[in-house]
Amino acid sequence: MTLHLTEPRTGGAPAHSPESRKPGSRKPGPRKSRRGSRPGGSSIDVQRKKLLIPFVGPAFVLYTVLFIVPALGAVWISLHKWAGSGPMKFVGLDNYGRIFRDQLFLSSFGNTLLLLFVVGTAIFVLAFALTLVLRDMAGKKIARNVIFFPHLINALVFGVLAGFIFNPGGMVNSLLAPLGVTDPPKWLAQDNIFPLIMVTLVCTTTGYFTTILMAGVDRIPPYYYEDCALAGASAFQRLRYVILPLTWDVFGTCAVLWTISSVKIFEIVWVFGGSSGAGVPPTQSWTAAVYTYVNAFSGQSTPAYGAATASAVLSLALISVLVVLLRRAMRRDAVEF
Amino acid sequence: MGKTARHLRPLAALLGAALALSTTACGGATDASTAAEAVDISGSISGQTINYWSMWKDGEPQQKVIAAAIADFEKETGATVSVQWQGRSNTEKLVPALNTNNVPDLVDGTFAKLAPVIGETGQASPLTSVYSYEVDGKKVSSVIPEKFTSNGVFKGEDGQPWMVPYSISSDGIWFDAAKHPELKATPPATWDEFIEVLDKLKAGGSAPIAADGDIAGYNSTWFVTALLRLKGAGSFKALVEDKSGEGWDDPSVLEAARKVETLVKGGYLNSGYNASKFPAQQQLWANGDAALILNGSWTPTETGSYAAPGFEYSSFQFPAMGDKPASARVDFIGFAVPAKSKNQAPAQRLAAFMLSAKYQNALGTEAKVLPVRPDAPVDPAVESVKAAIDAAPATHLQNDGVTFPGFMEKVFFPKDDELFLGKTSADEFIGKMKAAQIQYWKDNS
Repeated sequence: MTLHLTEPRTGGAPAHSPESRKPGSRKPGPRKSRRGSRPGGSSIDVQRKKLLIPFVGPAFVLYTVLFIVPALGAVWISLHKWAGSGPMKFVGLDNYGRIFRDQLFLSSFGNTLLLLFVVGTAIFVLAFALTLVLRDMAGKKIARNVIFFPHLINALVFGVLAGFIFNPGGMVNSLLAPLGVTDPPKWLAQDNIFPLIMVTLVCTTTGYFTTILMAGVDRIPPYYYEDCALAGASAFQRLRYVILPLTWDVFGTCAVLWTISSVKIFEIVWVFGGSSGAGVPPTQSWTAAVYTYVNAFSGQSTPAYGAATASAVLSLALISVLVVLLRRAMRRDAVEF
Repeated sequence: MGKTARHLRPLAALLGAALALSTTACGGATDASTAAEAVDISGSISGQTINYWSMWKDGEPQQKVIAAAIADFEKETGATVSVQWQGRSNTEKLVPALNTNNVPDLVDGTFAKLAPVIGETGQASPLTSVYSYEVDGKKVSSVIPEKFTSNGVFKGEDGQPWMVPYSISSDGIWFDAAKHPELKATPPATWDEFIEVLDKLKAGGSAPIAADGDIAGYNSTWFVTALLRLKGAGSFKALVEDKSGEGWDDPSVLEAARKVETLVKGGYLNSGYNASKFPAQQQLWANGDAALILNGSWTPTETGSYAAPGFEYSSFQFPAMGDKPASARVDFIGFAVPAKSKNQAPAQRLAAFMLSAKYQNALGTEAKVLPVRPDAPVDPAVESVKAAIDAAPATHLQNDGVTFPGFMEKVFFPKDDELFLGKTSADEFIGKMKAAQIQYWKDNS
């Protein structure tokens, strides 16, 4: 059908167009250029194709060898029972069935989701609140550096510090004692470790995202704010009608960044519980990444690479789905200004 | 559509090339393990070179002793040893290496770490020749106490030993003998005497036992050792291996759990043990704020830098229960040779060389650890542990040698923690363990 419709038109165009009679006309018309792109393409197209391989090729090969092939390898391993070396036994999807039945995997996965959504929400609410305050604050450059600083510190430090601060004879309890608190909460009890990790993550990551969001906010021309001031808009209205729409793309990128990094959170859990990495942290604080690691490398039992890679593959699937959904939910035409 | 396809075509070609490239890069990595035979190691090894991946880091006391031994070994045999002082992660690095043809010729590590990685996967060479090799005019097999090897702990599937230990570690209930000379003079021998001691210490105003409750491996020592005292070495492994889980209905298993419960409910554990971070509690013990701690033979070296002035290390064994002969915990640190190594003779010779009296003595007196040879002297701080091992009729491994994939970390430790940290009773613990163990074997058989 389409062929039938287009044929006479493209075929007929030169006959009806006055320019087409002149040979060597410099205006072939848009229709012709579209048709012409089919066999050889315009010179830009040809150039583009020529450059595709030298420019994309090296990165593509490296990326394939270093990431895609190992990822496919992980999928392959996840279909086996394997101790990391020695014989591999094909077990099909058993490893997946098993980890889904494993209460511990489900609770670890639940913790990962808590980090992703609860900690994520807290971080972005705080980050937007901070951008509002920081924009008008005196000495905002110093303040920005200060709140960014925790992000530079190795998670190990927080793990060790947690001991100094929250041990039964630690700083918090010593400060509480003169206030008459004789029976302080058991801060580092196994059930309290994960909430502490969540709080720590909010404190260390908020500054990082505030910095990125601030870069977006700084691009907004001041006359929008002047407009707001003239209209008598409140701080919240300014956020709702000016800052959010104009930084939406930055926010979207931040949300994707957080999604990816939160699913991989591992080291802070590892050092917070389990004596700063000397042992395995209590299972109440495990995330999916910790679950994966313990299965493969706990060093205290025969490694189960099949189950470990199965849980890693599931994490990867989770990230992929979430990122796609997030991109879709956040899709909006960028406001140009 | 057509436009996208045109752009995809070169990419697809690239993808194919990349896949081909990467598979060839990994080619040959999937060779099946070779069933190795014991080799003759008595010939000259002059001019040969071995690669040794060490569990020690440069500067550690054990590293200094081994480095000195290697220097002598090279001088004596003319072989060359190229060492990588990798530290404890050497076993983790070993796993991927075993899938290639580029393996180290010699590795060392604790039995608990080497066994799952190389011993039980059939990737180690039989070291029968090392055991029959002579050092200082004696066969290696005769300088290692028979009770260490009689239970066949080092034997692989082929019935041949795959590991040669050069050092051991153990545990005990540690105290400051300067402060508590009475414990050194008459250590509690039975559980009842032990509780008496605890009551006395508690009445004296100090918490009797310090425990870093965040380390599951330390917590589990209480239940596991109590069970081994009641039912003998090997009984915990037998209990765990039981796919029906019925072993947990045995009254002695409940009794072992009750002993742990007694410690928790009796208030014998230092307050805060269930909400602190290692090494807070062991520091507090070394400062004299608690009298006792159940911990490894490494305790004197680990706490030495912050112990109270005049602290005199001594220990007694976990008290006996019933009439079973009490075994001593002995964990091994030693060498294994990957089956794929092409330099078997020099690697195995170096393993034997470390058992010479000179280096065994140095491990005891300079590195202050327990050498595997009972005739080697040790530091005064660990004399009490050595005496207990020498006297024990049998030995057991940490966690009774249980290495089933994920069992300790995912099944036993979480529930044992609840018992030791006072969140469940002994009866609840038994019920939960039985159910969890049945489920574990359903999923893992």
